[in-house]
Amino acid sequence: MEQRFKYPPSVEDAVSALGDSAVLFAGGTWVMRAPLRDEDCEKTFISLAKIPELHLVSVNDAGVKIGALVTHHALAAISDVPEMTALVQAAGRSANPAIRRMATVGGNICAKDFAAADLVPALLALGAEVEVQSFEGAASLTLEDYLQTRSTRPSTEILTSIHIPRHSGRSAHARGLLRQAGEYPVANVSVYLEPDQNGAINAARIAVGSVESTPKRWHALEAAVSGQPFGRLSISDLAQSLTQEFTPRDGVDAPATYRLRILPRLVAQAFADAMGQLERSA
Amino acid sequence: MGVDFTLNGKPRSFAGDPRTSLLHALRDDFRLTGAKDVCGEGFCGACIIYVDGEPKTSCLLPVGALQGTEITTIEGIGNVDTLNPVQQAFIDFDVVQCGMCFPGMVMTLTHYLKDNPRPSRAEVKAALTGNICRCTGYERIIDAVMSLHNSASGEVRT
Amino acid sequence: MTESMDKTTAVMNLPRRDARDKLQGRTKYTVDAGGSDVLHAALLRSDVASARITRLDTSAALKMPGVQAIATAADAPGLHGLGIADHPVFADKVVRYHGEPLAVIAAETLAQARAAAKAIIIEYAELPKVLTMAEALSQDAPLVHPDWEDYEILFEGGNRSGNIAWQATVDRGDTDAAFARDDVTIVEGSYQVGRQNHVSFEPRAVVASFEDGRYHIHTSTQAPWTVKSVTAKVLGVPEAAVHVTVPAVGGGFGLKFDCSLEPYATILARKTGRSVSLVNSRKEEMMTCLCRENADIHIRSAVTKNGEIVGRDATVLMDCGAYGGEQVFLTTMTAHTLGGNYKLGSVRIRTKAVYTNTPPNGAFRACNGVYNTFALERHTDEICAAIGMDPFEFRRRTVVGDQDLGATGQVFEGNVLGPMLDQMVAKHPIGKRSDTLPDGRLYGRATTVGTWFIFVGPSAATVILNADASATLVTAGVEIGSGTMMQSLPQIVAANLGIHPDAVIVKTADTDAAGRDLGVGGGRTTVSIGAASEAACADVRDKLLEVASGLLQTKPDNLVLTAGRVEMKGRPGSGTTIRQVVQHAETTIGPISGSGAFTAPGVPAMPGCAAGHFIDAIDVPVFAVHDCEVAVDPVTGHVEILSYRLVQDVGRALNHRAIHGQIQGGVVQGIGYALTEEITINKNGAFDQTGFESYHLPLAGDVLPIEFELYEGAPSIGPLGTKGAGEVPILNVAATLGCAIANATDKKVNTLPLTPPRITALLEGRQNGSNLGHVARLRGGDKR
Repeated sequence: MEQRFKYPPSVEDAVSALGDSAVLFAGGTWVMRAPLRDEDCEKTFISLAKIPELHLVSVNDAGVKIGALVTHHALAAISDVPEMTALVQAAGRSANPAIRRMATVGGNICAKDFAAADLVPALLALGAEVEVQSFEGAASLTLEDYLQTRSTRPSTEILTSIHIPRHSGRSAHARGLLRQAGEYPVANVSVYLEPDQNGAINAARIAVGSVESTPKRWHALEAAVSGQPFGRLSISDLAQSLTQEFTPRDGVDAPATYRLRILPRLVAQAFADAMGQLERSA
Repeated sequence: MGVDFTLNGKPRSFAGDPRTSLLHALRDDFRLTGAKDVCGEGFCGACIIYVDGEPKTSCLLPVGALQGTEITTIEGIGNVDTLNPVQQAFIDFDVVQCGMCFPGMVMTLTHYLKDNPRPSRAEVKAALTGNICRCTGYERIIDAVMSLHNSASGEVRT
Repeated sequence: MTESMDKTTAVMNLPRRDARDKLQGRTKYTVDAGGSDVLHAALLRSDVASARITRLDTSAALKMPGVQAIATAADAPGLHGLGIADHPVFADKVVRYHGEPLAVIAAETLAQARAAAKAIIIEYAELPKVLTMAEALSQDAPLVHPDWEDYEILFEGGNRSGNIAWQATVDRGDTDAAFARDDVTIVEGSYQVGRQNHVSFEPRAVVASFEDGRYHIHTSTQAPWTVKSVTAKVLGVPEAAVHVTVPAVGGGFGLKFDCSLEPYATILARKTGRSVSLVNSRKEEMMTCLCRENADIHIRSAVTKNGEIVGRDATVLMDCGAYGGEQVFLTTMTAHTLGGNYKLGSVRIRTKAVYTNTPPNGAFRACNGVYNTFALERHTDEICAAIGMDPFEFRRRTVVGDQDLGATGQVFEGNVLGPMLDQMVAKHPIGKRSDTLPDGRLYGRATTVGTWFIFVGPSAATVILNADASATLVTAGVEIGSGTMMQSLPQIVAANLGIHPDAVIVKTADTDAAGRDLGVGGGRTTVSIGAASEAACADVRDKLLEVASGLLQTKPDNLVLTAGRVEMKGRPGSGTTIRQVVQHAETTIGPISGSGAFTAPGVPAMPGCAAGHFIDAIDVPVFAVHDCEVAVDPVTGHVEILSYRLVQDVGRALNHRAIHGQIQGGVVQGIGYALTEEITINKNGAFDQTGFESYHLPLAGDVLPIEFELYEGAPSIGPLGTKGAGEVPILNVAATLGCAIANATDKKVNTLPLTPPRITALLEGRQNGSNLGHVARLRGGDKR
């Protein structure tokens, strides 16, 4: 039988194994459902599992480096990076326990038709950069830029790692669900907040997923809250006033209007969570 | 050229298409039908097995990814004559109905209780987020699990 | 006959004998059957909703690797159905719904069968389609069945016309006069509910083979005798040529109450001479589920200021999809689920099963009852608001009691609902029905009533008393998960024979061994099969006591069966063991066995009240009172159920613990129906919800423990006074949640499911649900 499942030993080998008749295999939770989406299922799986560096998480003063194959389960267990709570929460609450042991951060970013990814807004809020490798070699770019070009990026490129610079602020993730758990969010929000010495917001990064087909930063809201004192912030109203930034998608799960309706609530939840963390750390 | 792994303690090899899901290999090739093919997309948990001791949904695992691993299915939990404490509690509380979800329930909860021997009700429910039951309405399953707190040793064997 | 058994010994928390294997993954369901010698089949289904088939060419597919046979309409030309034979096995010349089978392929592997299905050449000329009942009933609507007048009628009496597959009517008293009275308030409401998928974890599945000139069908069904007769009919073979066996069934809930995949596999088994397995994929199961039907309901009532309902006029449209199926029969139910709760001075009901170009619907736990109860209880609360009467007070005064008339004029026996309402509030006094909670959420509480009934009908049983004093019970009853075959039946047989239930062997359903039975559904198993089993036990007991009387030198009347022994009454230890009597019998009359039968006794209705009904009156009414408290988040529309309680009429509880399991599970299915499980049909006529990602079943985190009390002692013809307890828990869940949410939000809740997006639309005052003018219009033009 021809080789339908390959384990290249290095990223370079993996890049050269890719092509139109191959598909990258990370955790499998997206690829293995291709038949349910009526997609081509005859592609050779190029597994990245035997490339050790892709499984690593390293934390130092410069930042946190996360290999593309790190699972949600592993991310949820990170406890020593206080500003990364949004990512830890997103990883620990998405899908269900068994899926979290399989699904990877690389897969979450690269599944371009998956609007409701939880890790992506968290990483956006944390100002993450991604490293990619292709025939041209390795390159680094912001996740925001990556997402804007995601649908047209070459199929022979591999996202190998994520880099999160260290910060002094705190972050939180909120998911809008129809049930209590176990499903893809109809909208999700990650917030990173950094205070200045006067108790005002020095920097804020707010990212929204599932509302549009690709997660994105909510720059208008970030600008609106920047410099505002925490105490007097009416974040829900501010968010409400800026929802025109989005062109929400209609879906089987929820109509477009519903995604926007709950967005201010989710922003407020994430803000309250992050502000609580800041208070406790002060 | 096949994929070699340990299945319920015995060395086994799979020579078919390595992209085949473990669930289908178990059911069709190894005729281990305890793991059930219910949703096929990782939501229901009826096909949960252990890979190297970790519960995973076998419907989304291609056999090719399992070279050298140790796989345990519901058939590998105890034997015909012995039940583990989770299984025993389910009998004691008369919670089984159609039964299709229970192999997965047993796998999830047995693993969970090993690391979390004294969970709250809410924690057990969170642990069951990926195990759907259409018959029982869950609460009596939770009752059975909560009863294990009070067992003599407090330990849950696998 | 004097009592020769102790009925109280039937009551116990007998554990299930099938639990151990199920927990060990050792139980072999139909989906687990079949080794390497079995062929695998796949269906080619249409991907259009309404079309003429211009070409169907299987020649290339037949030459594909592994393909053994392909069957199409030419292989099964007959029509089948309930009431009307309108349903072909394969689409023949015309496609009427998205997902309709066109051909079936048997191959060595499932992948080969699916590949061959893709290689079949199919060409269509699309036809106009009707996807909603409003469209189907509009002027000049295209007919789903242009030849409807030519179909064979299997049950007389239903009014049929064009896209109305069947109509059942109730007319009791002069409703026009009631509505014309000048002392009444007229209250009117329209309601619309969606479909619900059963999502039995085991999909529909079958393994068929051709053995010794007969067909053996091993299948996941609730109704082996229906499978037998329908398969025989569509294959054009004698019923005697079909043998049906049923292993453990991985959930049914009504989905498997009809014949479905069995004919396809059977035809292929005949063509290939091999065993053939056919299993629906989850996607097929989602998209062609014989769902609980969507329905449009209009109710109008004339009520006096004292709360007397002097006139009621209701129209219920049930979407049967492309073929009549169960809905034809289920039109019967409205009389009882919508007309059997409250005292009605006069009543007119029109229930129509309507054809649309959508997947056919079917039976689902408390069929027709769940949405009629929802509509009726919302309507009842609207009546209370209109006449200014407290909703509990109104219900307490108006629910049916002893000697009150049902919709079709049957006379109810016993005061049941009233005392059940009292039992509920005695424990949980009603305070506020609506409030705003400190966290800003909207609080609501509601208490509702519901009437269901045990669907009885013929059952047969054989009991064999073995030499070791164990008994073998042979029936066509199926264990679908509810525990009836594992718990209540052995308990009934054991109590009747004075042995322990562990000594009762329950034969799995086999139509070659057991007599005819209508199937497991409608809450009938404990009642009908139980009664047949009791009759068989009586036969056994008579023979046993006759032999024992010779052995013990006393009259049979002096003997009693208890604890494995035959004793003289009042003298424990005086007799001998049953085992010894059986052994003695071998030398006198031979081995002991007995047979028993049961059928609906037939409660009379008032002549002329009901037309087009399959059952005019109900033999065993079952009542339920539910109560819940909810908190509605005004921003997100989430509903948290703060408490849920019920009082359920069970006649007599044989196994309290097993009933608890049915209540918890049934209410949670009702919560799913009311709040999260939504099916939408897109412009292609296909369901949008194709799997578990989009079809939202309740998860562990979404539920709460259901508090319950059992009401015992209501009249029942069931064995030992039982009524079925598994069907009814779902009955008024949507009604209770709907009424509580209406109280919380102060909005007119008239649609289901109440998903968060729908609740927010309701709060925003946006019209939810489509225009229901077509239902109200029908009423006016239809005073036949």
